[in-house]
Amino acid sequence: MNNNKLTVSHAPFWHDGDSLFKMNLNIMIATLPAVIFGIIQFGAPAVGVLALSLSSAMVWELILNIISKKKISIGDLDSAVIGLVFGMMLPATSPWWLVITGTFVAVVIGKMIFGGIGANPFNPALVGMAFLMLSWKVFFDFDTAYINYEFDFTALAPLAALKFQGAYEVAGLFPIGDLIMGKQVGAIGSTFGLGLIIGGIYLILRGYIRWEIPVSFIAGIIVTALAFSMANPDTYAGPMLHLFSGYTLFGAFFLATENSSSPANRIPMFIYGFFAAVMIILMRNIGAYADGTVLAILLVNLVNPLVDTIRPKALGKGVNNA
Amino acid sequence: MIKRSFFTLTKPRLDYDLVEPDPKEPEPIPIPSNLTLLLNEPIDSTRQALIKKGDAVEKGEKLRLYNQSTEYTISPVTGTIRTIDTYSDDFANISTYLVIKNDQSQTTQTDSITYDLKDDIASADEYLRTLPGAPPLKILANDDVKINTIVITCADMDLLSTTNQYITLKFLDEIKKGAQVLKKITRVPKLCITIPEGLNIQGGFDSIQVFKTALTYPSNLPAMILKDHLSMILPAGKTPEDMGVCFITAEAVVSLARAYKTKSADFEKILTVIGKQGTQYRVKATIGTPLRKIFNTFSIHVNEQDRIVIGGPMKGFATYTHHHPVLPDMDTVMIQDRDIIPEVSDYPCVNCGNCLRICPANVPVNLLVRYLEADQYEEAADKYDLESCIECGLCAYVCTAKIPLFQYIRLGKHEILKLRAEV
Repeated sequence: MNNNKLTVSHAPFWHDGDSLFKMNLNIMIATLPAVIFGIIQFGAPAVGVLALSLSSAMVWELILNIISKKKISIGDLDSAVIGLVFGMMLPATSPWWLVITGTFVAVVIGKMIFGGIGANPFNPALVGMAFLMLSWKVFFDFDTAYINYEFDFTALAPLAALKFQGAYEVAGLFPIGDLIMGKQVGAIGSTFGLGLIIGGIYLILRGYIRWEIPVSFIAGIIVTALAFSMANPDTYAGPMLHLFSGYTLFGAFFLATENSSSPANRIPMFIYGFFAAVMIILMRNIGAYADGTVLAILLVNLVNPLVDTIRPKALGKGVNNA
Repeated sequence: MIKRSFFTLTKPRLDYDLVEPDPKEPEPIPIPSNLTLLLNEPIDSTRQALIKKGDAVEKGEKLRLYNQSTEYTISPVTGTIRTIDTYSDDFANISTYLVIKNDQSQTTQTDSITYDLKDDIASADEYLRTLPGAPPLKILANDDVKINTIVITCADMDLLSTTNQYITLKFLDEIKKGAQVLKKITRVPKLCITIPEGLNIQGGFDSIQVFKTALTYPSNLPAMILKDHLSMILPAGKTPEDMGVCFITAEAVVSLARAYKTKSADFEKILTVIGKQGTQYRVKATIGTPLRKIFNTFSIHVNEQDRIVIGGPMKGFATYTHHHPVLPDMDTVMIQDRDIIPEVSDYPCVNCGNCLRICPANVPVNLLVRYLEADQYEEAADKYDLESCIECGLCAYVCTAKIPLFQYIRLGKHEILKLRAEV
């Protein structure tokens, strides 16, 4: 008679096979079209920035794991995603120390001190970005960043040009087709609109991001920008320029959808996405920043716990007529 | 194991198995030399027990621990008691197990003791609680619980199981007779029956209302049947019995019909057995047979760190021994190879929302689990709908972080009942 020790655990005894590793790997796969395009467009410096950003983000988490005597958790690729997303928002010419400082703020202050994965109230990559943008604003001037590059398109950052010259002046400088195909100056991973859309749709189809957030986000951009543009077409650009320039599409598919800082119920997701987009256009049109995406999404991250309380009533709750 | 599909724009869908149209006869398992019975009462060493080691028992004899005991079990064989000891289940509830040595050879089987069964629920409850299918006679006989609807479940509750569907196909007449018996002894006005969509049943049920249940899990769970077919919303923290609805399996109804016909008990339990490769077998085993015997019949090898699951992949429990006996309410036994057992993790919730979208009861599992992890059971029940959970297990099935959500919820419910009992 054999007396083998059996595995004893609890129901359910099945799992659909998904994991955080797979989820994060898929997010990284989804960034590939935009990343590859960015590398082709901006060359070897872009590879350097992305590689440094991704690896330093993982190293920061590893260091924090070791000093806090916790289980090594970089295997779930969460900080790899933070590093990659962060790197994609930087200009290809960023110096190494800027990248490392940024990933430090993103991973350590944005994520680890709140308790690690799932506990961050803000999108960690955006915390890092906001910190760098406020501290070293000069590196995020895309016009000077690419001064040594030669492009076969208008080498002006669309949003900055729009901000300082008005919609009337920039009309015709940025054909929408060029913007979608990535013929614009910007961060490594945010210029190729088509690639971002393909990546975003891939994630939606795979179920790793919720379609409600990008859809309401894009709707918010279109509605708000259209309202401004109709009020004063000479100063404010139309929705298409806003949609395909700056971090807008990157924000819609990769930033606003970050799991733990975004809502999970349907109506809150619509409110969240729409409100983030409204804030972006407000910041661009009447605020001080050329591109308000980073701060607008951080702001709406703050509102997330509040809006996510709008949820359907649970079965049998508040029923006393039995 | 059903895995996530490549495209998951919609939420995953788990379907119940349908019994094959012309099902094979179940494989009979010979009565083993030793049978184990569970008795739902702890041993109290300060009291004089009615039964002890070495006592002779007859087939069909009612066994109780003490004079005042309301819990009993029925011996399925004529033999002697070899062991009486304490058994504790996965929630540390203490009960007792008896091992009975079978003194008969296979050929010289005597008939079971006949009972003095009258047409009332009290006498049925006196002898028939441990019939195959475990009829809920204790609830029906309880005067404090007013039952006005009985639902006969021909649709199995958990995935993979086809036990009750098989019985429905094969013994439809006996179900009808059993339903008449039920009606006569309980005087409950309304009888309903659940039949899975796609199961072809010849003829109708006069005076029994038929509910065709969807094939999507969890539409056969009691709370869902109440909601979909009886238009009742189960209030949080209440059981169907509180609402006057009692569920009884098709097998229990058949057993009742047979018991009333022969005035004695039947001990042959039909089980769906699922092997390591997902192969389904159907067996007929005497209550008390160790699972080991069933695995041996089909040459299923139980190795170190494999998992034996009793009661289906979503709602069942795992046992620590292959000597675990066949119980009256055990419809499914599944064995999982150590290599395919999905791991669980101690990760925190990442708020992906998969659980929210799949929960049939709209429980905010992502918020609930934070309170359960911190042992804040009262807050979990008051604010985050702990007691609305219908215990389908889908949240843990889809959890990206592999948190044992279902276990947290079950433990939370258990603890909240304990807290309330103390007050």
